[in-house]
Amino acid sequence: MCRDMPPLELAIQFHGHICPGLLMGVRASEFAIQHLQLERDRDEELLAVVETNSCGVDAIQSILGCTFGKGNLIFKDYGKAVYTIASRDKGKAIRIAQKFNANRNPLFNRYRELNIKDHLTPEEKTEQENLLGQVFESIMTAPFEDIFEWHEIEFDFPEKAEIRKTLQCSVCGEGVMDARAVTTEPGVVCPTCYIDQGGE
Amino acid sequence: MCEANVYINRNGKEELLMEKVDRMIPGDENNIFMESIFGERRVIQARIKEMQLVHHRIILEEIKTAAEFQEQEIWLTLDTEHGHFHDGEEIRLNLFNGYNMKVNQDHVFSHPQVSMLQHGQTRECPVQINEGIVEVNLGEEADGLMQVYAHESGDKELYAKIFLEVGHHHHHGVEPVGLPLEIIPSNYQHARMGENYEIQVLKNGLPLAGAKVKSTYAGTSNHDYPHHLVTDEDGKTSLFLTARGNYLFSVADGEIISTFTLTKSF
Ligand SMILES: [Zn+2]
Ligand SMILES: [Zn+2]
Repeated sequence: MCRDMPPLELAIQFHGHICPGLLMGVRASEFAIQHLQLERDRDEELLAVVETNSCGVDAIQSILGCTFGKGNLIFKDYGKAVYTIASRDKGKAIRIAQKFNANRNPLFNRYRELNIKDHLTPEEKTEQENLLGQVFESIMTAPFEDIFEWHEIEFDFPEKAEIRKTLQCSVCGEGVMDARAVTTEPGVVCPTCYIDQGGE
Repeated sequence: MCEANVYINRNGKEELLMEKVDRMIPGDENNIFMESIFGERRVIQARIKEMQLVHHRIILEEIKTAAEFQEQEIWLTLDTEHGHFHDGEEIRLNLFNGYNMKVNQDHVFSHPQVSMLQHGQTRECPVQINEGIVEVNLGEEADGLMQVYAHESGDKELYAKIFLEVGHHHHHGVEPVGLPLEIIPSNYQHARMGENYEIQVLKNGLPLAGAKVKSTYAGTSNHDYPHHLVTDEDGKTSLFLTARGNYLFSVADGEIISTFTLTKSF
């Protein structure tokens, strides 16, 4: 890459397609950057708690650099478009929740209707393409308060993750983090092998 | 007998297209493949209008591609995936004829002229016509920001323009190249998805108010231009960019059609 990519572009390239959910995540991420006055090299000190595992989270990962791999993305499986972004350096956190009506209007409804269809006629494909353009513009230009509810919250930063030991599974021979290994009669077993052997 | 005769509706009239068809497969881009029991095969751009199975009749409707009934225009593109060139890269551009960024393969270029403007100096660019596309090769010498523009005379005077950037620079203020009808961006650097992009239309160097500007983007499935804009009293108008590929702006005035290709950087 030979140029700094704008946040939106980062998110689209990471996610692979443009969709309303991703764009909502872009707005939330951009708001967090602005409100928490985040620096360019911010990812190490940031923490995101996401309450959904759908498209918007990919914006959080690509724009804010809070990723599964780095351990600064915490997933709570609540099925809610809610993102809490916390900055260690600033000692501040904001909770950003998508408003219930943010994506409820005829434009979005029709887009969703077409999106779940298995087969689109050429006319419907064109309609879908044009609707996505309109949805895109409406999300990116909407006043933030119209689509999100947000406030600063108290946030307890978890301890930095300690480095765990890796043990070898006595059945498959693969490595497994000590906290996840199960000690059985024949020796240490990984969760996969433990379940295979009828364990819970 | 289970085969059907396939008819096509062209301008309200039904014509027999193929007799005793036993296989029809709809494909991409409105193509329909058909095969008769005699082994005759054919692919046609059409859609199924009606199937009268008892009468063994299938009626198709012709789909006119935009390029067939619309006015032709020319436009330039950079032959790079990247949006710009790097130092030492061979700089190639293409000039197309068609409509709504859909190439008219049947068009034969007569005398396309391609020129380049850099630092206030104009030079003619060598062109080569290859299967209906004009190829422009500027070699590896160029550096900085250039404007390349093309002209072809036919039923109408067709113009096309594009910016060409080699290396990474910052540029401010863009000079018009001086076409009789010309689209210029208000800010060359600023062309991002999710933002407004402003252009200005100049006629003989002066802002043209009330001009109808059409805009499209590469790969659209729309048969006609998806965006229609009108310039304000300063000859300006803007479009919110939502497509990933390049955009094309087109404006017509009298006998002139002039396009401007906006190359996206990502
Ligand atoms: Zn998505
Ligand atoms: Zn194992």
